[in-house]
Amino acid sequence: MQHRTLLAAAMAAAVALSSAAHAQSWSYTDDSGQTVTLDEVPTRIVASADAAAGLIPLGIRPVGIYADSAVADSKPLQGLDLAGIEIVGQAWGEIDIEKVAALEPDIVIAEYWPLDDAWSGGPGVTGAESPLRALAPITGPTVGDSILALVEDYEDLATSLGADLSEPQVAADKAAFEEARAAFEEAVAAKPGLTVLAVWAGADALYVAAPAGASELVDFERWGLDIITPEVADDRGYFETLSWEQADKYQPDLILVDNRSATTLETALAQPTWTTIKAAQAGAVAEWPAYWLRNYGAYAGELEKLTAAISAADENLTD
Amino acid sequence: MEASVRPTVMRYQATLALGLLGLAVIVAMVAFLSMTVGARAIPLDMVWTALTAFDPDSTDHRIIWDLRLPRTLIGLLVGAALGLSGAVLQGATRNPLADTSILGIHAGAAVFVVMGITLFGITQLSIYVWLAFAGAGVAMFVVYGIASIGREGATPVKLALVGAAMTAALTSVVSAVLLMSPTTFDQLRFWQVGSLAGRDMAVLMQVLPFLLAGIVLALATARMLDGLSLGEDVARSLGQNVKISRAIAGLAAVILAGSATAAAGPIAFVGLTVPHVARAVTGPNYRWILPYSMLLAPILLLGADIIGRVVAPPGEVQVGIVTAAIGAPFFIALVRRRKLATL
Repeated sequence: MQHRTLLAAAMAAAVALSSAAHAQSWSYTDDSGQTVTLDEVPTRIVASADAAAGLIPLGIRPVGIYADSAVADSKPLQGLDLAGIEIVGQAWGEIDIEKVAALEPDIVIAEYWPLDDAWSGGPGVTGAESPLRALAPITGPTVGDSILALVEDYEDLATSLGADLSEPQVAADKAAFEEARAAFEEAVAAKPGLTVLAVWAGADALYVAAPAGASELVDFERWGLDIITPEVADDRGYFETLSWEQADKYQPDLILVDNRSATTLETALAQPTWTTIKAAQAGAVAEWPAYWLRNYGAYAGELEKLTAAISAADENLTD
Repeated sequence: MEASVRPTVMRYQATLALGLLGLAVIVAMVAFLSMTVGARAIPLDMVWTALTAFDPDSTDHRIIWDLRLPRTLIGLLVGAALGLSGAVLQGATRNPLADTSILGIHAGAAVFVVMGITLFGITQLSIYVWLAFAGAGVAMFVVYGIASIGREGATPVKLALVGAAMTAALTSVVSAVLLMSPTTFDQLRFWQVGSLAGRDMAVLMQVLPFLLAGIVLALATARMLDGLSLGEDVARSLGQNVKISRAIAGLAAVILAGSATAAAGPIAFVGLTVPHVARAVTGPNYRWILPYSMLLAPILLLGADIIGRVVAPPGEVQVGIVTAAIGAPFFIALVRRRKLATL
């Protein structure tokens, strides 16, 4: 949680400086150790899709968003009001630099991925030599081992940018999340024997997620859920690849399928050996909000679905 | 020419027929291995019970029927199709490097599949099949059409040049689309490497009529290819219509390569390597090269697939990667060991 300490320090500095009536200076120190200092609180923000999903529900509206995919397919942006926001990128590694320049951004808010030592969009978009850096400084929170911590980082960041977290909708989202989390923990506690497996299904193989590689799965574990850790994760530490002949290697009571694309579940259902996993056979399949949660509203919605699935699951299915 | 070729062939005919029989036995053995070896260890007697007394509740039985059987059949047929199409293309274009990729067939199939994914959001393999097939056909048709412009018609050199140009052009389209859409790339990646896994009976049934028709047509071109291999002028003086011969051989090749690509993705090296191995054994007579290629290719393809299943447990390595990995050194060894028979 070192970055949060740094952040708190940055906040304190910002607050201290904000006491000056005019020319409020703003500064933010990210986890890569860089501090961005501006003469005024930035208002014209260009954000990555993930960062936008973290900020918009808190009342901070960027002027431009660059996404890793078509906005319609972007899971983090789903359900958010994007009216009036210019889309300046719809593919990973790409950004329309002329459009960004026309937006005259004060700052670019992205996410720092410590494992890759890279910012959202990849080196071409946000790397040291990228033209984007010539237009505005890039900063933002770090994707660590908890989505909840990340959302809290966005709260701090949004506050420094002038957001009022006591706005009714913002407070309601947070309350909904707290309620959903309490219900989740309760449902999990009621089924101490329940084991869960998180997967992504391809036509070539079944990919079993290592919980440590996904912030929300670490959150779930923290809240009591017993997620099976695969024996051999790949070199990046995210998944174990199972031939469909080996699909029944792990037998959870409940399967979570990556819900970034609806076709993942379709692909799984089309495999003859999908149902060799007893939970699949029993229909104990729920959605895994893989890697994309960035705000309380979405988190609450996903937790509610999971809580329902956990309550309906049979904890003794595979014992 | 016929008179001087015949006695040589006669001398080897019995041996070659015997060799063909031997290959058929090896194909059967590889098919047997393909049914029994996989990422999951299933005992031999269980394989037998699965085939004779199927129990839908047994995971092992379902793996045998739903995964290994379609995979084996697709491997056999796609292998045969790749071997034959390579041999026919090499004969028809008289180009020792002719392969399904040289006539733009892989690239054409890939473009159509990519377009299907990006423009229409198609994700089912069963529709990829038709897209790939259509793309292969269109590419071949265009390549042949452009190569036919001019008095000499579609000569080997023109076909190879147009094919290479078309492949380059289509590949750049594919790259452009993939760079713009990483989602498409994810979905295509699996198809593009070439794999026998994850294809069910429905996929096989879709391409089966085309594969069978292509095999029959290809085997029937042996005589024409023998004629063409003597050179266009000699072929013509023997009363052969060179243009029609090339068109028929081209049609057979596109049907075979198109349906093979549709079913398994673009698998490289099999179509290129196998006919050379066949030629090294049989000599220049296409009446033997074609059936030898047809039996050798499934041995290579299924053999590579079986290796791919067991080298990276509990996952698998896709067959396209294995064929390239074992096919390339094999091809180099072949080229170095002896001068390749000229076409």
